[in-house]
Amino acid sequence: MAAILEFLGISKEYRSFPKGRRLAALDDFRVSVEQGEIFGFLGPNGAGKTTAMHLAMGFTRPTRGGGRMLGRPFGHAPTRRRVGFLSENVALYHRRAEFLVRFYGALNGMGGSHLAKRAAEILRLVGLQDDANRNAGKFSRGMLQRVGLAQALVNDPDLLILDEPTSALDPLARVMVRELLLSARETGKTIFLSSHLLSEVELLCDRVAVLHRGKLVRLGKTADLLQAAGQTEIVARGVAAGDFSGASVQDGIVRFCVAPTAVRETFERVWTLGGEIVSSNPAHRSLEQIFLEVTSAGDSPPPQGLA
Amino acid sequence: MKAILLIAINYVREQRWPIFVLLLWILLLAFLGLIANIPRDRDELLYLFKEVAIYVVVFSIFFGGSAIHNERKTRRILAVLSKAISRQQYLSGLVLGVTLSCSVFCLSLGITGSWTLGQAGFPISQVWFLMLCVIAACMLAGTVALMFSTFLNPFFGASATAIVLLGLPAVAGRVLSSGWESVLPVYSLAMIVLKSSFSDPGSVSWFPVGLAVVETIAFWVLAARIFAYVDIAVALE
Repeated sequence: MAAILEFLGISKEYRSFPKGRRLAALDDFRVSVEQGEIFGFLGPNGAGKTTAMHLAMGFTRPTRGGGRMLGRPFGHAPTRRRVGFLSENVALYHRRAEFLVRFYGALNGMGGSHLAKRAAEILRLVGLQDDANRNAGKFSRGMLQRVGLAQALVNDPDLLILDEPTSALDPLARVMVRELLLSARETGKTIFLSSHLLSEVELLCDRVAVLHRGKLVRLGKTADLLQAAGQTEIVARGVAAGDFSGASVQDGIVRFCVAPTAVRETFERVWTLGGEIVSSNPAHRSLEQIFLEVTSAGDSPPPQGLA
Repeated sequence: MKAILLIAINYVREQRWPIFVLLLWILLLAFLGLIANIPRDRDELLYLFKEVAIYVVVFSIFFGGSAIHNERKTRRILAVLSKAISRQQYLSGLVLGVTLSCSVFCLSLGITGSWTLGQAGFPISQVWFLMLCVIAACMLAGTVALMFSTFLNPFFGASATAIVLLGLPAVAGRVLSSGWESVLPVYSLAMIVLKSSFSDPGSVSWFPVGLAVVETIAFWVLAARIFAYVDIAVALE
């Protein structure tokens, strides 16, 4: 797979004025996003997620290092013709939604009837077909975010960089955006997104990176990260939770984790106690658990599973 | 080129209210032209014409000085520069936008001036040359203000522009020689407008106009160089 977006040991420091105090927003950040994947970017506020996206788009210059987007160095303007970007706080001119989408499309070199047709199509995709002729200045934050998404998608980009694309959307609109992103991946598009909605990242992303204080602290396939290393979750009924260490019970169903080597022995114990095995699967953690684990640690651990 | 034009037209649209306020002055001039006894009040009409013409040069400094700041503060610049637009193109669009904004005003003032001052015997061709001087002065002043605004806030940017374009040539002209007044020709172009009178409408001199165009390009290049290093995503207060 070809790398579409590469951060090659990039660092960004901000200096306070007039004291000159340095704040490292991003420190030796290395990640490679491959073609056709949805890459999730997680981290607490101030972790450096937005800074990384701004560096890729050329809004900000790195203090050290660099990177490549679609094979060109960050900040190469013509390359952005193949990129769609949505910023965290969508800020657009106070114009009709349809005009805005056409305006941003035209800035990317589109024009004529193709642009008009594409703008109408995109507004329909983001559910704004009935509001296309309303002034975006009077839109709610959620609607503005949809227009922002439409302007990012109008040029049919190969790479989408989305900073919190669903933060202001209602559940229905979130499902719509999720489907939109999944269908974009089906057509070979690459998506690099940051989000605080961890359940959504779990559902959408092929790979996930977690940033903390400007450093990469986790990187790997979502499925691998969610799997609790070396644990099997056993669900049983007809036994007491107190018979198994760390077990929880809900509606008579007992859940607990054991080491893979102890599975057979545990099954026999459940049966001996007169119980019944409901299921036995590799144990999964939620992304939230992983997120809290890596971000609550005092010192950032070294990156694991670097791909 | 299309992207530059789009940014310029968008800029003019965003500045529609300041332009409207400026156009009210022209409406006042037209109104006075209607009610005044033109042969008797012609000097007052010319004074108002020159005064209004100079206002737009001052406005061009505010236009240029606040353009980037407003876009960064509202964060609208991110959506624009996320497209295939280089920063040089973006600045070109703003320079063109400032020039177009001032040109709309100068066109209206030129039409009104031709009617009112023409009736009083002022050469109409000179009215339009004066408008050209004002447009050239606005273009240069707006570009210099834009250049300063890439690294200064609008207030300091506008102050620095006024000092460089109006203060320095005036001082240099007095201390050194009168030729120095034309080095940065906003001052000399403004003086062409201010010195015109019914007895001496002035002559057509293309040198300061041409110099203003050349210096506009030079300051645009300088502004683009500086702006290339600016972190546009850093929040402004």
